[in-house]
Amino acid sequence: MSYIEIEDLSFSYTGKRKILENINLLIEQGEWVAVLGHNGSGKSTLAKLMIGLLDPMSGSIKIDSTLLEEETTYEIRKKIGIVFQNPDNQFVGVTVKDDIAFGMENLLVPRAEMLEKIDFFARKVGMSDFLDKEPASLSGGQKQRVAIAGILAMQTKIIIFDEATSMLDPYARAELMDYIRELHDEGITIIMITHDIEEAMLADRLVILKEGKIHADGAKKQLLGQPEVFETSSLELPMAIRIAGMLENNDDKLKAVKEYLWEFSFDR
Amino acid sequence: MKNIVIGQYIPGEGFFYRLDPRTKIISVIVLMVAVFLLDSIYHLLVASGVAMILLLVGKISIGRVFRGLRPLLVLLVFTFVFQILFNRQGAILVNETLTLSATSIVGVLFLTVLWRMLARRGKFRFLLLLMYLGGLYLAMRYLTFWWQITTFPFVIYEDGVTMSIFVIVRLVVIITLSTVLTLTTKPTDLTQGLEKLMRPLKVIGIRSEDFALIISISLRFIPTILDEANKIMSAQASRGADFAEGKLKDKIKQVISLLVPMFIIAFKRSEELADAMESRNFVPGKPRSRINELVFNRLDVLTSVFVVMCLTGSILIRVL
Repeated sequence: MSYIEIEDLSFSYTGKRKILENINLLIEQGEWVAVLGHNGSGKSTLAKLMIGLLDPMSGSIKIDSTLLEEETTYEIRKKIGIVFQNPDNQFVGVTVKDDIAFGMENLLVPRAEMLEKIDFFARKVGMSDFLDKEPASLSGGQKQRVAIAGILAMQTKIIIFDEATSMLDPYARAELMDYIRELHDEGITIIMITHDIEEAMLADRLVILKEGKIHADGAKKQLLGQPEVFETSSLELPMAIRIAGMLENNDDKLKAVKEYLWEFSFDR
Repeated sequence: MKNIVIGQYIPGEGFFYRLDPRTKIISVIVLMVAVFLLDSIYHLLVASGVAMILLLVGKISIGRVFRGLRPLLVLLVFTFVFQILFNRQGAILVNETLTLSATSIVGVLFLTVLWRMLARRGKFRFLLLLMYLGGLYLAMRYLTFWWQITTFPFVIYEDGVTMSIFVIVRLVVIITLSTVLTLTTKPTDLTQGLEKLMRPLKVIGIRSEDFALIISISLRFIPTILDEANKIMSAQASRGADFAEGKLKDKIKQVISLLVPMFIIAFKRSEELADAMESRNFVPGKPRSRINELVFNRLDVLTSVFVVMCLTGSILIRVL
């Protein structure tokens, strides 16, 4: 029994062209999975299906052995949270405090407990000095951190990041990745939807989507050994692999550089 | 575009800031009724004295309140002029004959042009308006030579003057009261107060929680959307659009070039927001717990007693 079981999942908006086709995916508790894909590969649709914002055409999704269907969405959403791409469009509250509280309010958490949790999780994402600030005075990275705190406060065990860093500047992006790494270390299952290969390299496992189908699925190191997998799904390889490819079949010194680069990029 | 102040709220401390928004809303309504019940100028002056004392107690600067009155100056002047010209009761105070002649018409036109030109500069607009009205009177009173077209009487009655003062003082007092409310209450607290007060409407099928959520989300998105409007305006300006000048027809075109993208983006936003809310387990109509709680304390009791006393007072004055 895996933690997340996606079985034979297909989805289509119109009934004709399938956005997702026969997706089978098992994710264990505590895994860090990057779902990679080009624009239109269906990766964001997969995220929306997993949290019950869209209904599958066929197939099933089970989270912690609960089947996702209309009656169970409320229970499922206690276990799985999502951080979307646009920091502004997911900020519901008038202040940081209100926004962190929003999900807990929906779960009928008593006020005293909410205040405690807000304090705790705001500190955790480094936003405790901003509790009474309005979203207009926050940066994109800060808003994303508030979104994470809001989800953590709901005691979710799985967090999906749907291109959550794509609207941030490089500094805020690196900072957010650090927070994600911390969450992973605490045992939260991370599913990162992205088209950025360097970002995906932080995950343990890569799932590559191509035209609505799973093109490749495996441990990061294993997939990096097969560069053709990336090339055939119009994804750029990580810089180190590209350089390594250029050095292939050359003399021993260059091989040393290759090993060094590999170590530098992935074994840190 | 950061730190936009929505509404008139000014952060501060003082008596009114510590009151429950529900108390404030109801008090303002009750006090307004009390003011409307008064029908003599003397009682009204007492009421405005009480309003002044309230401002002092709340440490609210009178200048602030009067700045809140500014948008209503035109209404006040209009009320004043209307009462003076059309009230035909009491003793006659002024009885003059005004003339419409070639010279007075030229005078009126000249004054109008002068007034508009000076008003464009944007300073002392109210003073200019008063001077313009006075000028009109003087022009029609004394420029009587050449081609008299027609004459008409200009009569001011005593009641016209007292009534106009009465109406204006009443408006000022009422606006002062509501300004105290909006100056000292956060828009979010105001909506929460309204939500609680509108609870009973559930009987006729209006869910006040939804209503309050809609307002608080709107408030939250005002700065975001303003920011966006600015961005789109810059984008359109860089493509040659000019929002400041041009003929009316051109201006309308420019505004459309702003509104269309704004609407499209707003719809996309609302869809994404709905997704975000739903994924955080929001179900419309389902009960929710609240992070912000309203507390009714001793100050609120005190205020309520005071307000009831005011209302009883004005009812007694009215009846006796």
